[in-house]
Amino acid sequence: MRSSVSYILSHAPGESVMSHPDYSQHAQHHACLLVLVKGIGGMLKNFNKLWERIQRVNNIKVTDSTGQVRDIWVRYVRDYPVENNDWGDFQTHRRLLGLITLSKFTNQVELNEVCRVHESLKVKYSNTLYDSRAFMFGPVSNMKKPEQEPETYSYFEEERPLREGMDDIAPSEQADSLSSLDSFPQSTSSNSSYPLQEEHFTTPSNFKTHAMFYGENDPVPDLEQNVADLINSLFWVVESKRLERSKEKLEKVSLLLAPFEKKDFVGLDMESRNNKKRCMGRVTKNLADLTLQAGLVADSLSLYNSSTELLKTDWLWLAAAKEGLCTASAILLYPNLRNPTPLHRNASLQENSPNKAKQLSLFQPNSDSLRRLKLTSSPLRTSKTSSPVNPPSELTPTSSDSVETSSRQSETDNADSESLASSSDIEYQSHKSFLAPDLPSIPRQPPSQITNQFLLNGEEIAERYREAIMDYSKYKNAGVIETEACFKAARIAVEQTNSLHASSFLQNVIFINLTLSEQEKIQRFETLAELYKEIGFHRKAGFCQRLAATRQVSPNNPSPDWQKCYYLMLHSFPGYKLSLDPNYVIQHQVGWPALQIQLLQELVVAARRMGHPALATRHMTFLLQTMWPHLSRQEHRELAIQLQALSAQCEGGPVPLVLETGEALSAQCEGGPVPLVLETGEVIPPANLTHVPHCSWFNARPLPPARAPHLRQAKPAHGPFIFTPIHFGSLERNAKKDEGKMEYLWVEDDICEVQMKLTNPLPFELKVSNMRLLTSGVVFESIPETIILPPDSPTTVNLHGTPKEVGELQILGYSTHTLGVKSNCRLKNMPTPHKFPASYTIEVIPSLPTITIETIVAPSGNASVTSMENVGSTTNISLFNGESTDCSIKITNTSNVPIEHLELAIQSNMDSQLQSKVFQYSNEDIQALLPIPPNETATIAIKLYGEADFLDLGGVGVENLFPLSLNSNYPSRVGSPVPNAQTSLPTQSSNPQTSLSSGLIPNRTSGSFRSTNSHTTSWSAPISVMSPSRGRQIETQLVIRYSGGEGEMHCRQSTLQINLELLPSVSITHWDVLPAEIPSQLYLVLDVTNLTSEEMDFHYAPSKHILIESKESCRVPVPLDRCPFSTTPSKPLDEDLIESKSTNTGTSTNSLELMCSEHITNNISLRWHLMQSDITGRASVKGITLSQAMMDIVRMSPLNWEVSVNSQCIKPQEEYNCSAGECLSLGVAVWNHLSRPLHKLCLSVQFYQDYNNGVLSYKLDNRVATAGNNKVVLSTLPESAKAYHECTVVFLTPGEYKIDIQCSTTEPVLDEIPLIKETEHPSIIQPCAGEVSHIWRFIPPVAISVTD
Amino acid sequence: MAVCVAVIGKDNSPLYIGGIGNDTSTDNELSRQWLVHTALDALEERLASTNTNNSGANANAARTDLRDLYLGLLYSTDTHKIYGYVTNTRIKLVLVTSSTSPSGSNIRDAEVRTALRRLHALYADAICNPFHLPGDQITSQKFDKQVKNIMLNNV
Repeated sequence: MRSSVSYILSHAPGESVMSHPDYSQHAQHHACLLVLVKGIGGMLKNFNKLWERIQRVNNIKVTDSTGQVRDIWVRYVRDYPVENNDWGDFQTHRRLLGLITLSKFTNQVELNEVCRVHESLKVKYSNTLYDSRAFMFGPVSNMKKPEQEPETYSYFEEERPLREGMDDIAPSEQADSLSSLDSFPQSTSSNSSYPLQEEHFTTPSNFKTHAMFYGENDPVPDLEQNVADLINSLFWVVESKRLERSKEKLEKVSLLLAPFEKKDFVGLDMESRNNKKRCMGRVTKNLADLTLQAGLVADSLSLYNSSTELLKTDWLWLAAAKEGLCTASAILLYPNLRNPTPLHRNASLQENSPNKAKQLSLFQPNSDSLRRLKLTSSPLRTSKTSSPVNPPSELTPTSSDSVETSSRQSETDNADSESLASSSDIEYQSHKSFLAPDLPSIPRQPPSQITNQFLLNGEEIAERYREAIMDYSKYKNAGVIETEACFKAARIAVEQTNSLHASSFLQNVIFINLTLSEQEKIQRFETLAELYKEIGFHRKAGFCQRLAATRQVSPNNPSPDWQKCYYLMLHSFPGYKLSLDPNYVIQHQVGWPALQIQLLQELVVAARRMGHPALATRHMTFLLQTMWPHLSRQEHRELAIQLQALSAQCEGGPVPLVLETGEALSAQCEGGPVPLVLETGEVIPPANLTHVPHCSWFNARPLPPARAPHLRQAKPAHGPFIFTPIHFGSLERNAKKDEGKMEYLWVEDDICEVQMKLTNPLPFELKVSNMRLLTSGVVFESIPETIILPPDSPTTVNLHGTPKEVGELQILGYSTHTLGVKSNCRLKNMPTPHKFPASYTIEVIPSLPTITIETIVAPSGNASVTSMENVGSTTNISLFNGESTDCSIKITNTSNVPIEHLELAIQSNMDSQLQSKVFQYSNEDIQALLPIPPNETATIAIKLYGEADFLDLGGVGVENLFPLSLNSNYPSRVGSPVPNAQTSLPTQSSNPQTSLSSGLIPNRTSGSFRSTNSHTTSWSAPISVMSPSRGRQIETQLVIRYSGGEGEMHCRQSTLQINLELLPSVSITHWDVLPAEIPSQLYLVLDVTNLTSEEMDFHYAPSKHILIESKESCRVPVPLDRCPFSTTPSKPLDEDLIESKSTNTGTSTNSLELMCSEHITNNISLRWHLMQSDITGRASVKGITLSQAMMDIVRMSPLNWEVSVNSQCIKPQEEYNCSAGECLSLGVAVWNHLSRPLHKLCLSVQFYQDYNNGVLSYKLDNRVATAGNNKVVLSTLPESAKAYHECTVVFLTPGEYKIDIQCSTTEPVLDEIPLIKETEHPSIIQPCAGEVSHIWRFIPPVAISVTD
Repeated sequence: MAVCVAVIGKDNSPLYIGGIGNDTSTDNELSRQWLVHTALDALEERLASTNTNNSGANANAARTDLRDLYLGLLYSTDTHKIYGYVTNTRIKLVLVTSSTSPSGSNIRDAEVRTALRRLHALYADAICNPFHLPGDQITSQKFDKQVKNIMLNNV
């Protein structure tokens, strides 16, 4: 586009070059009257409001002399360089025609000053100024005089004919006298103005302006009216000028000149034909400009057209004419250009249409200048240059994206230029729909109205503009004009939504070489950026903004402004697809990282240099967080160090300190790093460093077992697992929903823990302080943690906290304070690849008590304190079998909640029966201790007893079951008790005893005897453990479940490990029973082995004891009463016995044996005493088994004997002497002690000789003679009845004789048991199993020594 | 002639930026990125408009017809000219010439076109690597070398 022959007609610089480009100029401004609005004097409070109100009056309608309604448009500016005024001939819209001053005064001096400034402004623009208004705001509110308004109107009424008359008068005035003409309306207006003077204030005499006086806070209702009046007056001047120009004779016109052209025509032939044509063309162009300004757009088109024809080679003016043609066409084609903000009192071209709030093009300058106003009014911004500040919404990527996409779509819609016009409206609607979706669309102007042969269509406008710009480019001095033309063309292209055209026009701006001030250059870039943004070229816009930003602080710039630089950089974010929200950036990962990093780094510098270290810190954090994957390790390190330095700075400053540490006070940690709010209202959201340190594992931990709550009521047992292929949707959904929900519970007021694994990715040691948990839900008090992470090694960190309420707790993440930056690292924002659930949800239950447990074992005094944390603490106790000791458990309530429930349970590898014997405690006593108030102690006493089976069977297996066989072996084994010898005993199958129970269920055989005997059914498993000869290790867990307070549903559980070591003490390897000297007694003979390593004093009877060396064995006889016949067992036969009976049918001996065994066990008291270590203990023969024969001894005979010799009662152990041949009368009386009669009793008396070597000789035929039956059969012996039998005996030879008196029965035994049982268990009737006969002997046998 | 060649993915992410210059400092590299990045706007715009033109220009044949992948000059700055080329998979190839250097100042359009075509072929070769993940940055040294060759030799 740029002409290669640029500057051909240029002159040296230094001419009156228009050097202040007006970047905000639009094409439609060609048709506007330029009015300067200036605030002078003191700063008006409501200046902005007034300025807005004035701006709204940008279009009035005036009926001209021919009755035609003219549409007059006004452009208000706040500042206007006088130099630009000089181009007023070239393009008339550059003339400043009107002046409005808004001034404030408080006293006369100020009023004078204000008037002076107003007048001086008038002088400044005196070349072009037609009229002016002064709005004076005084201190008093009622300054306005009511009669002012009608006077003003009357003035206008008179004025109009006057003006028109004047126009008629001066049609042929020379252009040179324009200045004097210009001053005319001014003077008239000053003449006709009525200087209002309050009592106290007088305007200076030279103040000749139409002034309105108000109080400062007055509503100024007639402001619009007054402004409209001004415009009206301006219009008439312009109109008069137009008429004057149109009536000029074309041949006589003088040459109009652009300011720099003055020298060019020196010495040229002014009368040449060429020059004449040039003059005519220029005048025609000037006329066209005026026509356009006067509201006759269509007329101007033809004038512009004819001027282009005339100005064939006068490129500068030709370009201006072309531009004028374009602008006029654009105004007609795109009326939206002229319809900016809602206009309430203008009637636009479409009178019937609803007022359209078209915000596209005009919105920009308006809002732009508004913003500029705001910026200037803000104390920090001193410069008046416009810096486009995007509305914050544009920063959010979504909206900017939508703009982009919508503009994209628009371009695709506009295939050709014909449809462009019609579609553009709809297009705009969509384009700006996000700004004002409810705006009504403006109907297009009907084509009929704008049909004009010279009207250019969209394509042509662009083409003509291109040509015009080319022409301008030929003049170096017209650079500003060219620049402005480029912008205007670009804006038209924007209106056409032809982005490519717009961008090419904008691109051209770059090439225009202008000597501009830095500020203007910056402004140029900003305007470029703004327009690029409008056409959706966000990258270009970003680039331009960055250029502008760098210019702001470039060394060439005399007044670097870091703040502006910062804002420009910040607003270029959308161009780089950056968002202020770090999460967005991380998630989307769009844009070019290298550029983004560069931009962010520059932004950090700018923020720092503008003295806002907190902001710099924030951006640096953002940079580290979002660009982490794109940075090298070296960069990580450098940036981290920079960040540290920045944050250190900002902690020094007072204001950021509040920002940075304010949230540290929030206990809930929810506040976290707060968003920073800039002066422009933009919010810089916090950036959280989740990479430093890097978290690779995060998990909430259940409470430690000692403090973990359990349900007090055990859960109902789970049913059997049933597989079903049917998946119920609801179940699935529930499972989904509970993701992140923890199965365990946390307890109110109890310290809870979250474990995480952190890695420091930086190559230096990283201090992370104030680490807390981020939670929501119930109140949670997090305990800050400070850690120092070494580089590159994962460290496990535990964060603790205490929930303070009951309910659901959500753990959302954690907060850190590292490198001087606080971060709230939320799990959901964690960088990939570690996928954490968005939150962990944990149920918090009401607080529960906590305890410490102290265990004291009485005798040894070894106390062990078990704190509640220390679950593994164990108490080790050694006990000898049979020893007992006391153990007290001190429970201290360490919480503030009273313990209201306490349960003690013991879990061990013992069965429950044995366990209850080893650990003896009373539940009632425990319950009596409750409740335990806070910080009180309760003691639970537990008695420990080394329960054991002292009957050592020397081994394992079935062989052990038959100590009875000892009976037969007994004599041979006397004095050499070898326990292991019994392994050689006959096996079960060959044993007659087992054959007794041959009918039993096989598995009963192994333990049947003992199990029934011991009243326990399940000894089989632990019994081997209980073997007395070896030490046993009993591992016991004392489970203390306790609860209290509100959390009664749950309880805590403390486990106390007690390792009980049972040492062997004594064992009874063999036993037998011997009848004692007295029939009512018997001797239980026991082989007792001392298994300890000490000497043992073994007490086996009240007055009898024996010392047993270590590992030695002794045989002791224990005197014992015989088992009374009808005595009930000390313990009632309990249920399991009955059950065992029922299975044990037929073994009638068992119950009998049981009873005997019971009797023995209960009546025997075996105690031992270790001499050295002074330990005493007990032993028992519990579980002793007895053979049939033994039982007969043990049991008291059912028959009571009374044996008399010669009517003398025989006492036990008494020897009877007689001489040989003496006749002895032996009387035997038998009482039946049974409660039922005995049948078929056979009472026999036998004599024998005991050789004392085990041989008994019954063959005494020739030594003894008896008279009377030595064998009688008693058919029946009723209960409690007595039978007496007497016989006579004569011993023939002297010697030792013994009489065996016995009573036998063939059937009775089987009846016996039912007999016994019937007393208590009548239901149990045991059928006969073919039992052998029973024999009761008179014990001891009567010994008679016969002498000669 | 060319000072920089860039391959840009269809999501406008940079896949490869190679340049020859006086130095390979990061500064230079960054300036190239600025240049290419800024060209994306115009490139996209061009792309969007060509598409609509194709669809609007009534002929489906025109559409099925080989669309010219070469987009021509995207924009120019004082020192550089930026040319664009878009493959059918919307991979954008951008070539930057220096207008200050004597060789690059008056380069012909056809030369650029052929250079970009060759670049396209090179890109296709590089993509053929089975270990290359489409959308990833191109790290092939061979590609880099050949691209540099194009930039140098094509003068």
